[in-house]
Amino acid sequence: MANRLECIDAATDYCPCYLAELNECIVCSQLQGKNFCDCNWRGVCIYQEFVWAGYKAKATRSTIFSKVLKKEKINKEVIILTLKVPNKMARELNEPGSFVFLRGISSPSFFDTPMSVMFADEMEGIIKIAIQVNGPKTKLIQQSQGEEEVYLRGPYWNGLLGHRYIKGTHNSKALVVLRGIAQAPGVIVISKLINNKNNVIAIIDKGKVGVNFIGDYIKDFDITTVDTDLLSEEGQRILKELIKDKGITLVYSGGSDEQHVNILNYLELYNKEAYLAVSNNNTICCGEGICGSCEVQIGDQKVRMCKVQVDIRKALERKMLNG
Amino acid sequence: MVKVVVIGGGWAGCAAALTARKAGAEVVILEKTDMLLGCGLVGGIMRNNGRYTAAEELIYLGGNELIEITDKAARHVNINFPGHAHANLYDVTMVEPMVREMLLKKGVTIKLMARATDVVMKNSKRIKGIVLADDTVEYGDVFIEATGSTGPMGNCLRYGNGCSMCILRCPSFGPRISISYRAGVEDLLGMRADEVYGAFSGSCKLNKDSLSEEIREKLNKEGVVVLPVPKEDINMEKLNLKVCQQYALPEYAENVILLDTGHAKLMTPFYPLEKLRKIPGLERARYEDPYSGGKANSVRYLSMAPRDNAMKVIGLDNLLCAGEKSGLFTGHTEAMVTGCLAGHNSVRLALGMPLLELPRNLASGDLIAYANESIKTKEGLKKRYTFAGAEYFERMKQLGLYTTDTNLIKERVMRNNLLKIYDEKLV
Repeated sequence: MANRLECIDAATDYCPCYLAELNECIVCSQLQGKNFCDCNWRGVCIYQEFVWAGYKAKATRSTIFSKVLKKEKINKEVIILTLKVPNKMARELNEPGSFVFLRGISSPSFFDTPMSVMFADEMEGIIKIAIQVNGPKTKLIQQSQGEEEVYLRGPYWNGLLGHRYIKGTHNSKALVVLRGIAQAPGVIVISKLINNKNNVIAIIDKGKVGVNFIGDYIKDFDITTVDTDLLSEEGQRILKELIKDKGITLVYSGGSDEQHVNILNYLELYNKEAYLAVSNNNTICCGEGICGSCEVQIGDQKVRMCKVQVDIRKALERKMLNG
Repeated sequence: MVKVVVIGGGWAGCAAALTARKAGAEVVILEKTDMLLGCGLVGGIMRNNGRYTAAEELIYLGGNELIEITDKAARHVNINFPGHAHANLYDVTMVEPMVREMLLKKGVTIKLMARATDVVMKNSKRIKGIVLADDTVEYGDVFIEATGSTGPMGNCLRYGNGCSMCILRCPSFGPRISISYRAGVEDLLGMRADEVYGAFSGSCKLNKDSLSEEIREKLNKEGVVVLPVPKEDINMEKLNLKVCQQYALPEYAENVILLDTGHAKLMTPFYPLEKLRKIPGLERARYEDPYSGGKANSVRYLSMAPRDNAMKVIGLDNLLCAGEKSGLFTGHTEAMVTGCLAGHNSVRLALGMPLLELPRNLASGDLIAYANESIKTKEGLKKRYTFAGAEYFERMKQLGLYTTDTNLIKERVMRNNLLKIYDEKLV
């Protein structure tokens, strides 16, 4: 019963990665120094891929120049960038949980900042990213007034935990709860759920950014939207009533860990069977599983949250217990 | 009602399901692919040498349905090939539907494309359920692991020549896991002669239509074709790679030996296609299983559970094992013998009854016990345990266990009060 891990990069163009070279693969027991097979198989034998790749990491993600096609100042807090990217990159980023690293071209590499992708058009080769200005990295992006280009590194996909539940929900009913800047990655989540013929109810809470900035991107979706303040009594009542609906088989929570726990508590009380997927709020620095900034302890295992898809209920419960 | 969950639908798993069902249990087979029988889908050899004795013992013990099927599906009966006498070769294209139908009629539930990925434990010694790849859980009272010891791809690469695309089809249906390992019991690994772990499956199958008309006719008529290997290609060391030590004879290195099982069964682990095609009559030969038999074959014996002679896994209270999971056994007959005992004992275990151990004056009982004793040593880990040859067949002859006298076999079973023991309904 010992826990096996699931890596979001497994079976992609970026697997096996440097971790395999270091005998630190997240998934493959043979590439963890063991001499037998015992993995969480996702369709591809990673050890075989490693050998075919000449015992080296496959293509690593490169940093590219990305032309800034448009910069929209939504309010004092929020900027939306429209960026030109290769079509393949746009296609790969049109997935729930996708993010990229951005930095200004005059900044050194440690200014790389993970940013969720709000919208991707693979035909046009563009992506849109919403930025909330709240730290040195994002301030510098905001201040790069005249710059026509930014550095961009990607694609990455672990911005969402519970990916398989999003993918696995078809012809059903889903609740999407979005608050603050975490509205941004919710757009692709809703889009995917609709493509899978689900009925979607979206709760949108402006939160600290003070604005619903995704209205234009979801107005053509055939969904039910509820605008409310989740911190208010009325907001909590609405949330509770929606979760009580047994037809809801999936809840996606885009927001803080406190919000995730709030929703998890209601699920435990009123809709135990429903799946929960959440935005990944862990600190992400290199994105490749190397630096360890995102590492958290779950049970007796250390888990790199930039890559690992964890059982979100266990992760949240553990966090609650450990503070 | 006792519920028995059998993990793995090869010959061992099917045998276990049969006897568990006959003992009165509700039985579910979890098979990861879309067909039962696993390696039995491309095997076919029965009743050769000491397997004749074991097959007849199994009939009298009460596992007769299995032998009746392989006898009925036989393309050739009572044939000889180098080192082996009175063999039957069953048709690998006919046998699986017959087994499936028989089990369904008995009331066994068969879940195909149901790959086990983990276990749910009740406590550190009891399994509560088997987690499947779709995240559902199959709960049960007793579990029988018949997952075999072959592959998966990473093991075939580490210990062999990579994935050969064998009948187990791991790229399509996913890798096997070790239930006992997931439940906390360390696996045992078998070796080959050079002390490398694992051993290659010992045969490939050629598409008969790709052979010359003369060879096809001879196969259809006689069941066996022996073709000399060109002198420059003789390779005695190949015999050490093989799982099946009963075919580790010079004849098998100096000749290409083909057996008619529906396919043309080539008795060698792999044979480069360009060299194979130099042999007269095989100019257009191509492989049927494994598809890349010119380069590789599946690697086995990488996952055995420690067990007692009643097939119960040591260290777990409600898990039994059978087939290659239970020892360095080769062949369908050995899988059936161990599977039937495990299936019968699963119900005894659930009811708290003493488990049945087959006595050592039966070949079946002696093989099970002897293999268990032998794998405690490094020497023993390099051997294979089969009624059909190698060391164990010699032992059968020395101990007087080998016979083709069916009356004598019946007498032995009766003398042990075990006649049709597997037919006894316990629940």
